[in-house]
Amino acid sequence: MHKLDTNKENTWCPGCGNFGIMNAFKKALAALTNKGIDPKSIVITSGIGCHGKIFDYLNVSGIYSLHGRALATAQGIKLANPELNVICFGGDGDSLGEGLEHTMFAAKRNMDITLLLHNNGTYGLTTGQASPMSLQGYRGISTPQGNIERPFTPITLMYEAGATYISRSYSTKIDHLTEVITGAVLHKGFSFVEILQPCISYNNTYDLYNQKVRIMDGVPSNETVAYSLARNKDDIHIGIFKDESIPIYHEQLLGSHIPANERITRNHRCEIIKSMYP
Amino acid sequence: MFTVLIAGKAGEGIKKAAQVIADMLKFYGRFTFQLDDYESTIRGGHNFSVVTTDTSEVYSVYNSADLIICFDKRSYHLHSDKLNPNGLLVYNSDEGSFERGIGIPLTSLMKDVYNQPYNVSVSAVAISAARIGMTGSNLKDIIAHSYKRDATQNCIYASRVYDSLGEVAIDFPKLPCHSGHIFSGNQLIALGAWTAGLDYYFSYPMTPASSILHYLAAKQNTLGVHTIHAESELAAINMAIGAVYCGCRTAVGSSGGGFALMQEAFSMAGMVEAPLLCILSSRPGPATGVSTYTAQEDLYFALHQGHGDFSRIVASPDCMERAYTLAGELLAMAWKFQLPVILLTEKHLSESMMQAIIDPTQVMEANHLAATDEAEYNRYEITDNGISPLLFPPSEAVIKWNSHEHLSSGVRTDEAIDIVAMKDKRNRKDTGIIASLKEFQTWAVYGEGDVIVFAYGSTVLELREALKHLDSRITILAPIYLEPFDIKTVEMFQNRRTIIVEHNSKGDFAFLIRSKLQIDFIGSILRYDGRVFDPLELAQRIEVMINAQA
Repeated sequence: MHKLDTNKENTWCPGCGNFGIMNAFKKALAALTNKGIDPKSIVITSGIGCHGKIFDYLNVSGIYSLHGRALATAQGIKLANPELNVICFGGDGDSLGEGLEHTMFAAKRNMDITLLLHNNGTYGLTTGQASPMSLQGYRGISTPQGNIERPFTPITLMYEAGATYISRSYSTKIDHLTEVITGAVLHKGFSFVEILQPCISYNNTYDLYNQKVRIMDGVPSNETVAYSLARNKDDIHIGIFKDESIPIYHEQLLGSHIPANERITRNHRCEIIKSMYP
Repeated sequence: MFTVLIAGKAGEGIKKAAQVIADMLKFYGRFTFQLDDYESTIRGGHNFSVVTTDTSEVYSVYNSADLIICFDKRSYHLHSDKLNPNGLLVYNSDEGSFERGIGIPLTSLMKDVYNQPYNVSVSAVAISAARIGMTGSNLKDIIAHSYKRDATQNCIYASRVYDSLGEVAIDFPKLPCHSGHIFSGNQLIALGAWTAGLDYYFSYPMTPASSILHYLAAKQNTLGVHTIHAESELAAINMAIGAVYCGCRTAVGSSGGGFALMQEAFSMAGMVEAPLLCILSSRPGPATGVSTYTAQEDLYFALHQGHGDFSRIVASPDCMERAYTLAGELLAMAWKFQLPVILLTEKHLSESMMQAIIDPTQVMEANHLAATDEAEYNRYEITDNGISPLLFPPSEAVIKWNSHEHLSSGVRTDEAIDIVAMKDKRNRKDTGIIASLKEFQTWAVYGEGDVIVFAYGSTVLELREALKHLDSRITILAPIYLEPFDIKTVEMFQNRRTIIVEHNSKGDFAFLIRSKLQIDFIGSILRYDGRVFDPLELAQRIEVMINAQA
């Protein structure tokens, strides 16, 4: 595999949770290569925010998309060339705020792509406003009196929407995160990884997560158990909450056709038009 | 000339009946133009369709009709005064007894024949057949061919309506059939783009663009094209950019409201240099506006679509054949120059139907400059003509597209010198685009007269029909390309008396023409009630304007 770093200067804050995510992602790429995934087939998209900078740091093909739209862009890539392994990086402001509709619909479709949700509970790059995952009472510059809204529970949200691989990990648990990301990419269907990510500058949750994070023993036996574990505030459970196999979107839409590689020729198009409208 | 008007409620199959009648008239060797006037309603309300037919090409419909068929009382009251002298009006006598025309109990005849669902629209075909002197057995063939569900009942019902009408035939000789097929503008746009190489269409339904999605979805097996009805216009256009990244020829389409939602991604297409065909079919605005009628209020919206400064191409077809070739031409331009393009049209062209002859060999192919050196590949390589070679994944080379300003590698930059270098690279494409346009027809010119009438888009269709009734000699000048705007071709028409016709209340098109060509108008004709002009009325208004200034 070619080098994975670009020469772009890294401007994440020292201690940012994004470093752990990027390290785990690189390790996952190596693991995926070992499992027979062609590195050339990996394509990434990202939204806008601190998480999105990963696009510039990784020497991997893809699209640095608009705020909130990275998952829509990712779906377009997959639909055009299903042979690609498409991985989308999204912030919580991106994937659960500005672009929540795409997250829900990618899951609803069981689109065969992966969403890595950098959940830092704040808008880091825009200096700490409340995000869709900020806790009640969070004081940011847009909520100086404290955040009134309650955060989502992304795991149960994804359950409802129909994602078929639903997981959570923590940016400091590199081996766990690597394993979960690798599983997500290998999964056939929509795979979702919520990554607990402390923001050292605006939402430092290291102590909270270090105390409360527990790795689950295996996949919960049913939805009720999964919901209960996902919602538990005393222990924050990480691991795979759901891993099931159902038909995926592009295979139902396209069969075995690869639109980007099997384009209809000019002559064939002319013949078809002439036969339709002689 | 012969005009048929069929009126009734939404859900009664009026549009379908008009299509069958248009086919029938085409079989009689006539040219047809069909306009469907409908509300945003599934059942009830009031809808009507008009088919105008003649022995030469017809470009729009007429208000007054030679045959009016009313399925309900409301239709009678709305349309009975449009009947031409010697015309025939047939109304549904189950809805009452009226002073004009012939009453036939269309509803009770129908209830005798059918178990539900009923199909009253079949009666309109039967009445039209009787009027043009078609035999009962030919009528049955047409009904059986055109209405396959409940075919037996349809034929019985059609025959009963036909028989109860008695002898109403006019002299309507069958002429040799002309070639060509009847298309809607949207079908031609879809087919033109597909001929040029379209692989994918991403959309969210919005009238009057929706029928592009419907048509391509219906033809997906025949054409091998894929359609996605996404969760929103935002999803549609961002998915489209993803598909373009992989090399698929891709289009999106909507009306003004949906385009407003797509603005940010349109701008992104400018930044990432994504070749993307965008079809904007206008209806009256602002906001939700008037969903199912026509307008030209989005000219500057198209010209200025998306934030930031970047180049785009905007063009508008002035006729049905052009809708076909221009859609292909624009897809080709998008791929040649790697930028977003807009095909701007209106409900009147999108949804009206007329015959057209399409020749796929006249449509360009959407080709791109392909990278030859994978090892040293940079997505945004700085080149003299601004066009950087394209490479698609999977690839040994890293292919980065970036919505931020970027280096040639596609990695983000905030450096002043790099920002300027990349903007200049993109802007250098403009020279090539303008040079390229020299190979295409940038203006449509109709008629030959001292007075100039400017129009664009489907208004040109209305003008061409009005032209048939003008005593004064006029030249219709219609820019096909609105951006870049070709001034040279029409320089010789300066210093003439000039009129402008457009479908909005502010005179956007007049503003564009005035600023580009520095000319003043002796008059402007604006229509902004969502409706098209009656050709006779338009001709008269132009005539009055010319005579007042003579």
